[in-house]
Amino acid sequence: MAEFKKFDQRNWVKTNLSYKKDTGSWAWILHRITGIALLGYLFMHIYSLSPLSQGKEAFDTFIAAYTTPFFMALEWFLFAFVLFHSLNGVRIVLVDWADGAKYHKALYRYSIVIGVVMFLAMGYVMFSHEIHKLFK
Amino acid sequence: MYKHRNSQGSGSFSWVFQRVTGLILVVVMIGHYILMHYTPESGHTYDAVLARMQSNWYRVLDLTFVVLAMYHGLNGVWGIFRDYKLKSWQTITIMSLLIIIGLAFTLWGIKTILDIPYVQTSN
Repeated sequence: MAEFKKFDQRNWVKTNLSYKKDTGSWAWILHRITGIALLGYLFMHIYSLSPLSQGKEAFDTFIAAYTTPFFMALEWFLFAFVLFHSLNGVRIVLVDWADGAKYHKALYRYSIVIGVVMFLAMGYVMFSHEIHKLFK
Repeated sequence: MYKHRNSQGSGSFSWVFQRVTGLILVVVMIGHYILMHYTPESGHTYDAVLARMQSNWYRVLDLTFVVLAMYHGLNGVWGIFRDYKLKSWQTITIMSLLIIIGLAFTLWGIKTILDIPYVQTSN
């Protein structure tokens, strides 16, 4: 907080990166990145589910590509984006409405811990069937 | 909820609504993930979708989900643009693009959900 850098419009990426970041600024920047990515995914999701209108055969052939382990892994990593945006969103609501400014750094750490646990739990839900198949 | 009367009508409704929709989406989103991946079939076959969509409650939930998620996402993007000093023509262009793209995709999603037929079951 000691020095104030003038914002340079032409090199805003460089200027942004040069700021020293604490939990709050990381939360802010990651919330934006995950938010934009999730909106992009929502557009893709609506597009990729539209063959539902063309009946069973069209949809099942189309969706088969998304049941491969590669796409399942991508969907799992997408859940990391969902979790970050969700838990940090709850953190933002607590900061706004529940005096969270006093404990927002602790909230950030709890979010990360809860997020990692939920990410691993979802990994189990998604891949348990594949794992069971391996040992049959 | 508003401390000063002046703060109404300056985007404060969308600020509150962004939080309300966000809290709803947290619950629905995580539920959606668990349901869609509970078995390999539950989220990735036509039959599973068809079976769920026989319930109007499920249709209403999905329609709400599409609309709220799209609103929350586009309002979020608009919030990012509001961080920058925009000229009025830029405001109008960005706002129009967001609304047009948002409406198009939302209607596409709604159409996809409503197109799924009701079928007679044997039981």
